[in-house]
Amino acid sequence: MNKYQLVIMADDKQVVLERILQVTRYRGFLINAMNAEVNTGNNIATITMTVSSDRPISLLIDQINKLIDIKGVKVDDREAKLATSLAKSALKPGN
Amino acid sequence: MTESKTLTGSALLFEVLKEHGVQHVFGYPGGAIMPIYDALYDSDIQHFLCRHEQGAAFSAVGYARAAGKVGVCFATSGPGATNLITGLADALADSIPIVAITGQVPTSAMGSDAFQEIDIFGLSLACTKHSFQVTDINELEKVLYQAFEIALEGRHGPVLVDIPKDIQLAAVTQRLDKLSHLKNKVKLPLADISKALDLLTHAKQPILYVGGGVGMASAIDEVRDFAKKTGMPSVSTLKGLGAINPDNDNYLGMLGMHGTKAANIAVQESDLLVVVGARFDDRVTGKLDEFAPHAKVIHFDIDTAEINKRRTADAAILGDLKGNLPLLTMPLAIKKWQQKVQQMKTDFAWRYDHPGDNIYAPALLKTLSDLMPSNTCVTTDVGQHQMWTAQHMSFDDPSNFLTSGGMGTMGFGLPAAIGAQISRPHDTVIVVSGDGSIMMNIQELATIKRYQIPVKIVLIDNEKLGMVRQWQDLFFDGRLSETDLSDNPDFVMLSRAFDIKSQKITKKSEVKAAIEEMLDHDGPYFLQVKIDASENVWPLVPPNTANDKMMEGV
Repeated sequence: MNKYQLVIMADDKQVVLERILQVTRYRGFLINAMNAEVNTGNNIATITMTVSSDRPISLLIDQINKLIDIKGVKVDDREAKLATSLAKSALKPGN
Repeated sequence: MTESKTLTGSALLFEVLKEHGVQHVFGYPGGAIMPIYDALYDSDIQHFLCRHEQGAAFSAVGYARAAGKVGVCFATSGPGATNLITGLADALADSIPIVAITGQVPTSAMGSDAFQEIDIFGLSLACTKHSFQVTDINELEKVLYQAFEIALEGRHGPVLVDIPKDIQLAAVTQRLDKLSHLKNKVKLPLADISKALDLLTHAKQPILYVGGGVGMASAIDEVRDFAKKTGMPSVSTLKGLGAINPDNDNYLGMLGMHGTKAANIAVQESDLLVVVGARFDDRVTGKLDEFAPHAKVIHFDIDTAEINKRRTADAAILGDLKGNLPLLTMPLAIKKWQQKVQQMKTDFAWRYDHPGDNIYAPALLKTLSDLMPSNTCVTTDVGQHQMWTAQHMSFDDPSNFLTSGGMGTMGFGLPAAIGAQISRPHDTVIVVSGDGSIMMNIQELATIKRYQIPVKIVLIDNEKLGMVRQWQDLFFDGRLSETDLSDNPDFVMLSRAFDIKSQKITKKSEVKAAIEEMLDHDGPYFLQVKIDASENVWPLVPPNTANDKMMEGV
């Protein structure tokens, strides 16, 4: 399975995490890690989420982007590459 | 700011509905929505009391689809709200603009497992485009405006607004400026126009693949103009039926599992698919890996998430179909291809010669289609009768054929027809149903009786859950499990109990006169049509099979 780190900007609404979790599960992605913080100045929540799946990440990004409360979603490539490489090295014989 | 006056939340709801041009709503009252029903008492918006909240939701869907407006339905908290869910899911799957208003227990009782309390807001996440729960009276107006805007913005869909009882009763004076408080999500257009033009000019065997999005985008004229000027052979999904004029020589009918042989073979042989407002649904593609294997794809859609979801697009054109399709409208040199598909259309045309005296459903539906007045709206339920209707009736506009496409919901047809008839009082509305489906919302006959809604009901009765029986016969060794409905009630007697004129026919010779009598009758009419239980829908593309490997009989 491929691992991806997503950075999601969203309106600070109580239900927004539920919406993201529901879409992520339904579209076939596992959540490996998640963090959410709110900027009280502009009421924007920043959610970082590490997900894994065999499905293309564009499938999840497009669906999260469709949620009304979402301002934007992007893949953090550096984190994802690091996570994938760590996962691979952990699987190497001798490790 | 607009002029302000003090209103209750419930009265404000009706003000906002009126401001959105809402004239009719469908619903069912109950404890937690009583303040709204009290405000309804003073409103000139007409409410239709359905006999189950699912009926109200489907009537709102039928209303929206037939009229191209937002459908509105009301339900109380708890079971009232949960009964809406199937209708909302249906609207989500078929991209229908609905605003559903649910009552909720007072905010002070929320989260206490109060009587008729359910977290409908939580339950709505997977079956609506968006949902709101209003816990501050000062948010109510803004939320209601957003609900209508979201329902109609981009790809249409259902929106639920859950309003606790104390919010319905609370006083509010502030009125917002109607036009300035909403924000749009701005999306950059994705348009591979030059690439699409290149694909189009090099195509030798292109096919126009038309979906339900065409009607939603009000782009029927543009699609017909494209089909005419390019001369491109076209096929339609179930929801796209009516978008292409059925008299177009190069139109091959529905594709997919029960599509025409000509449509499916032409798609498989095509070298370019121009996909407009369609989404490569599994009922359309059959085995996805073998669907149109030689074709490049130009995909027009309003929803980014549909691009590359099930089939990679060689050129993607995102945005308003009405504006984008004319950019590619030009004559093509494809005469040989046109001749080939027209020959297939002739070779594989439907045949209505059928031995014996029993009524042959495809022939009956063809007769109905030929006899019904222009601009008749037909709704169906789900099953064999639905596929026969799609195959053998002709529609000149998608708003004249309302069927549950994505969700495939039995019980859709009757309440959807009620909604359609209310939205289009001067047009004929016909439900084609099956003896399984009709029983799923049979209580709506009471709604027809109450308002004397002149819907015509054609019940194709084979005393079976016909489509499931067909699959059990074909793919489960004939082990007929729970598909016998021979103990259904006497439908003629049942409809008479609701003051609906009714008749049962069993022979071919009775068909024409019975249809004429039904269509000539001013009020509602119930025509029960007995057919042979062993009739199957053909052709059939078996599961996980390429569309050109269809079964045509056993």
